[in-house]
Amino acid sequence: MDKKPSHARTVIAYIVLIILTFLCLFFFYILIVNATRSHPQIQKGFSFIPGHSFMKNLRSVLNDANIPVISGIKNSLIVSSLSAILATYFSALTAYGLYAYDFKLKKPAFVFIMLILVMPTQVSAMGFINLITKMGMLNTLYPLFLPSIAAPAVFYFMYSYMQSSLPLELVEAARIDGSSEFHTFNRVVIPIMKPALAVQAIFAFVSSWNNYFIPALVISDNSKKTLPILIAALRSADFLKFDMGKVYMLITIAIVPIIIVYIALSKYIVAGVALGGVKE
Amino acid sequence: MAGITFKNVVKTYDNGVTVVPDLNLEIKDKEFVVLVGPSGCGKSTTLRMIAGLESITDGELYIGDKLMNAVAPKNRNIAMVFQNYALYPHLSVYKNMTFALELAKVPKNEMKKKVQWAAEILGLEPYLDRKPKALSGGQRQRVALGRAMVRDPEVFLLDEPLSNLDAKLRTEMRSQISKLHKRLGTTFVYVTHDQTEAMTMGDRICVMKDGIVQQFDTPQNLYDHPCNIFVAGFIGSPQMNFIDAQVKKADGGYALCFGDTKVISDRSELAAYEGKTVVLGIRPEDLHAEQSFFKEGNSIKAYIDLDEMMGSESYLYLEYAGQKMIARVPARYAKRAEENIELAIDVEKIHLFDKETEKAI
Amino acid sequence: MKKVKGNEVSYAKYGYLFIAPFFIAFLIFQFIPLIQTIYYSFFEYYRSGLKIIGPNPVGFDNYAALFEADFGKYAGNTIIMWVIGFVPQILISLLLAAWFTDIRLRIKGKQFFKVVIYMPNLIMASAFAMLFFALFSDNGPVNSTLISMGIIAKPFRFLSSVWGTRGLVGLMNFLMWFGNTTILLMAAVMGINPSLFEAAELDGCSPRQTFFRVTLPMIRPILIYVLITSMIGGLQMFDVPQILTNGKGTPDRTSMTLIMYLNNHLFSKNYGMAGAVSVILFVIAAVLCLAVYFTLNADDDSKRIRKRDRFKPRKEAING
Repeated sequence: MDKKPSHARTVIAYIVLIILTFLCLFFFYILIVNATRSHPQIQKGFSFIPGHSFMKNLRSVLNDANIPVISGIKNSLIVSSLSAILATYFSALTAYGLYAYDFKLKKPAFVFIMLILVMPTQVSAMGFINLITKMGMLNTLYPLFLPSIAAPAVFYFMYSYMQSSLPLELVEAARIDGSSEFHTFNRVVIPIMKPALAVQAIFAFVSSWNNYFIPALVISDNSKKTLPILIAALRSADFLKFDMGKVYMLITIAIVPIIIVYIALSKYIVAGVALGGVKE
Repeated sequence: MAGITFKNVVKTYDNGVTVVPDLNLEIKDKEFVVLVGPSGCGKSTTLRMIAGLESITDGELYIGDKLMNAVAPKNRNIAMVFQNYALYPHLSVYKNMTFALELAKVPKNEMKKKVQWAAEILGLEPYLDRKPKALSGGQRQRVALGRAMVRDPEVFLLDEPLSNLDAKLRTEMRSQISKLHKRLGTTFVYVTHDQTEAMTMGDRICVMKDGIVQQFDTPQNLYDHPCNIFVAGFIGSPQMNFIDAQVKKADGGYALCFGDTKVISDRSELAAYEGKTVVLGIRPEDLHAEQSFFKEGNSIKAYIDLDEMMGSESYLYLEYAGQKMIARVPARYAKRAEENIELAIDVEKIHLFDKETEKAI
Repeated sequence: MKKVKGNEVSYAKYGYLFIAPFFIAFLIFQFIPLIQTIYYSFFEYYRSGLKIIGPNPVGFDNYAALFEADFGKYAGNTIIMWVIGFVPQILISLLLAAWFTDIRLRIKGKQFFKVVIYMPNLIMASAFAMLFFALFSDNGPVNSTLISMGIIAKPFRFLSSVWGTRGLVGLMNFLMWFGNTTILLMAAVMGINPSLFEAAELDGCSPRQTFFRVTLPMIRPILIYVLITSMIGGLQMFDVPQILTNGKGTPDRTSMTLIMYLNNHLFSKNYGMAGAVSVILFVIAAVLCLAVYFTLNADDDSKRIRKRDRFKPRKEAING
């Protein structure tokens, strides 16, 4: 009896899903196609069929002295990797400190972190720029990854994960076994936290890789620029003069590595997103 | 090898709750002591104080003749088996067992020998390369035991180690732990809320309630001579029956009267209770349906509310003189619910308690 | 020898030790800067050519100047563009979450769809905006396709039209966030005890009734969480409109957001005004942070309330 309406609903559901899938993939498809076409081809109109200018576009991006792509990738990699490592390790350490130990300021410390959980960093950007200028860190990569040590959202994820997966008896067993507190954290807690660390490392890496606001304020030296600044520079240049094949190629370079990593790890990433919201 | 001594030990938590008000306890070397009591009675806290996992608020704790209050757990030469086993999930069974040894920098081949020895005793040899996840509950339990064994501790601490196992495995592990104790000849302190485990395993049992030791004695003595109503009710299943009885002077001693029953006791201590009410305790198995037990005045004619047939015997839930009682009688003498039955009280086996202090008379 | 305090074993100091790096980093990189930001918001402090003017204390002048200028307009822009993205986002996400968790629909390839719809969230927003800029430019692929299909006669100038630009920003925000929201809502729905749905089915609820009477009330806390975190995300809107309009908020600053405005002051080194903008943003964010804190911590209460609510309809059914 209830099979018929379900059938109609299934068809509608698939149609909507296919439209959304198209929306999500279509732009990237054009991006990749256009990255393989030459400027005149792109100007002529739009095509679903890839062209033959992939290598030419790649070479012209890499050889453009105004767009230091290689150093941009290198800087982005350094900043994102260090951010990911610092954010996950120190968030786990902080979460463990609040989870496994009893001390007077435990509750206030926890409440404080929860209160700043979603505080945007932009609100203190002015003082931040001022401060790092005084510290001589303007135009260096340090201010781009050092603040990751205090990552409240990563902390909250780690803390929730510990509540579900790290029985305190394990810590006590290690204590009786003669393990020092740091040894217990590094050799017992960290291995148990691996799934959480991996998921959060990916998120921290990606958000740092994509970050534009702070790097644009901190970095002015061409050799220190990260990829988002280079993309933005592309926009502010006189756009019409540009070789469009080159523009699409640079965007491809900024986006595709993340997409490849994402597809390879999508199972864990999607599961991680779901975990982030469940708090019961 | 070492005994354990508590001298006026107090444990108060930061929130001001005192779980152990004043503990004095002497556990002998090589003894198997069971701490038993209802949940929240302080037995686990006591064990964790021995381990050093809980700080001691006041008093002194000795292991051997060494004061342990301020000694870190790892320096107490103890091993502990946890309720949920607390195995390191990312390490193999072998690595779980050698974790402490590696920290103590024991040479590789000696480590191997020790693991081999423990694995052989516990039947764990085929599983040494497995991760805890791939083991059954009973196997994990044995790994937890093995991890404690390889360390050669002076004291073994076990915190409800069998409560996560099913009934059959529990019986099996019970005898295995008892055997292990005999084989190792080490002091064992075992926490449980299960009186069967306590009765079958302990050399001595420490019954606790509200952080206070009620009675510390051998299983037989606890059963035969409980010192108060709490202990009498806690040990034995089904529970001992408690009946309010009037004490009256009678031929050959004192009569304990309730309903139409007059049980004659020659206990001289009853003199002080003449004309008062005492609590008479009688275990369900000391109510008999066989003719040979009937004497003048010791019978009760009771109505059966409910009967539970257990096979060889039957539990009868009775009502007599406005009080509820349970009798445990051989199946062939039992009657069914809603019938009346006449039972004899075994006068030799009665327990008497002061109604006010609840202490044994 | 260590961790022995007086006559007892204490580990408290490790707690302090382990949380210290977090708090030190927070103090240096966020707290002190925030205090400075607030401090300079009461000063005249800017660069004029190569000369630095100030800092001279001016009280609330910066704030007054803000409201005389177009602060309200930028706040309005931010809200409008957030709404354009958020409304379809929450509707589509709810719909997808309901479909994905409906056992009777039996949608195949769920994992594939989840992977695809989440992907835009990981894309560099600036690159995504650059891509849209190229695609929707006056003679870009979208216009040429529309013309060749005969839908329009001459190029539609998306980026010169107020609603074209705002619409594109909203569309990008929608594309980047609806997958994330869908996955969160799905997880919430799957966290509901399945026997509740079975009971609803036995009680004769249609899928639609089940959704509105069982699913929605049960996932209310996570909906609130999504709403507030999305508002905070909206408050921070920057990369997409910045790149799309080259930081100018064209046309006529109708797509200029609050953070873009802050960014302009930071770039022109007007620290006084930047401070004032930041302080107002901080106040708004603080309110939203408090809201998040309470949604995350009112768990127990909300559960109790929800439990009570669950019995309400039944009582009404009995009464009438």
